[in-house]
Amino acid sequence: MTESNPRPQAENPDEGEVFEFPKDGGNAGPIVIANEFADVVVRKVSTRNGMRLELWSPRRGTCVRFDAVALDVLSYQEPEFITELLARSPGA
Amino acid sequence: MEARLRDIREGIDHGRFPAYVFNDQEIFDLEQEKLFGQAWTFLAHESEIPKPGDYVTRYIGNNNLIVARDEHGEIHANLNMCRHRGNMMCKSEMGNASHFRCSYHGWVYKNSGELIGVPYLAEGYEGKLKRKDWGLVKARIDTYEGLVFGTFNEDASSLEDYLGGFQFYLDLYLKQGPNGSEVHGPPDHWITETDWKIAAENFAGDGYHTPVAHQFGFNLGYFPSSGATHSQGWAASIPGKGHGIGLGHTPGFTPFAGFPDALTAEIKKSLTPDQVEVFSNTRTAVGTVFPNLSFLMQPFSLIPGETGVRFVTMRLYHPIGPGKCEMYSWCLVPKDASDEYKEAAYQAYTLTFAQAGTFEQDDLENWARLTRMAKSSAAKGIEFPYLMGMETERDEDFRGPGHVVKPYVNDSNFRNLWGRWADYLLGEA
Repeated sequence: MTESNPRPQAENPDEGEVFEFPKDGGNAGPIVIANEFADVVVRKVSTRNGMRLELWSPRRGTCVRFDAVALDVLSYQEPEFITELLARSPGA
Repeated sequence: MEARLRDIREGIDHGRFPAYVFNDQEIFDLEQEKLFGQAWTFLAHESEIPKPGDYVTRYIGNNNLIVARDEHGEIHANLNMCRHRGNMMCKSEMGNASHFRCSYHGWVYKNSGELIGVPYLAEGYEGKLKRKDWGLVKARIDTYEGLVFGTFNEDASSLEDYLGGFQFYLDLYLKQGPNGSEVHGPPDHWITETDWKIAAENFAGDGYHTPVAHQFGFNLGYFPSSGATHSQGWAASIPGKGHGIGLGHTPGFTPFAGFPDALTAEIKKSLTPDQVEVFSNTRTAVGTVFPNLSFLMQPFSLIPGETGVRFVTMRLYHPIGPGKCEMYSWCLVPKDASDEYKEAAYQAYTLTFAQAGTFEQDDLENWARLTRMAKSSAAKGIEFPYLMGMETERDEDFRGPGHVVKPYVNDSNFRNLWGRWADYLLGEA
């Protein structure tokens, strides 16, 4: 980040909340994201030629690895997109 | 029962109220249906759920609700019960979730309460189940200055009408600066062998008990009042609405003392000139929003003889049985204050009115015994005197709304509180 290229911000237009781009780095995970309904484990993994974000569901034993393009497309989805996915496959 | 209630209602106007109602199964059952089933009940402060997906679980009467902020920032209160077979959706009392998923058969709801996911929908229900018809059961909600209230009563008048002018006094607790107040952490809560009504009455302005029950504060100098002048101040109530507040006055007390000077200036800007005048004369403000939400603001000093730090506690008395309630207690701090002041205010709150606070222990020792005695068979025929200030005229110089009388030591707020309570139980609120 330089002065000519300031830190990006994202705004949630519905409530005017501004998400600040994270300053701190260097943590490759694993990171646990959990609430009372689900839990996932996230970490950065290196392939021979690049990076992916690995996302595990320990309860299901499922795992995906998202590359930058896949994560980028997720970054601009509406919350309703996730609702649609859950409506299709609500599973306990 | 109706005849008994009519006697009670009439007795209140003559300064009498029966002992047994503070611990009685029949009264408790009636309150659940006629009072908590009809009135507006406090659910949460908006600052407890600041971000999309944040939720807390709270009660209206014996109904557990999820109070959640949806992905678009709107607040919803829904019965915490899956529409499929009635399982509790959120077992955790607070959390963050975009969707709630039932742990029994896996139905999934948006955090706004709409049903969106049903396992084997096509295979099992063959088109008979329309998801839009089976969302979580919604409560009506309304807010005032960050306070979220709810009711299942579709016919209840607006919250504004329900508060009926008491907002003037609530602003002291809620407009602590340009951005108002916020909770300092989650509430302490605990179960106590105390009837909710005892606590509600005490906080509706019982300045009378303070020099006796809390004499340590006076004797040791932690509390800026003295037995000689403690009766001074005002009792303000909103006639017919049940809300009441006691405003204790200490002669020569610096207005707003206990707040940092810069914060006092900001608070004054957030209030009307009438509010500034009223609150300038207030050392202690202790009030109840009918039926069971209370606030207290006062300074408390760690160093005897000094003014100390002004803090606010907000508390809810959730009835769980006759003579038994779950107490919720929050510390409210000015949103714009320094972290240093917020911590100091929280420390003062913790030492006084949190679960193990000194004032709290003093009160609960008395309240638990009062509750136990109220169940005595001999107590059935006993009434208490609510005679203080029966003939007192309104203080016409006072610049706040409602029925306002001097001195602070007064029963007029309590007669108004119990009159409203009886009106609800009679179905005449």
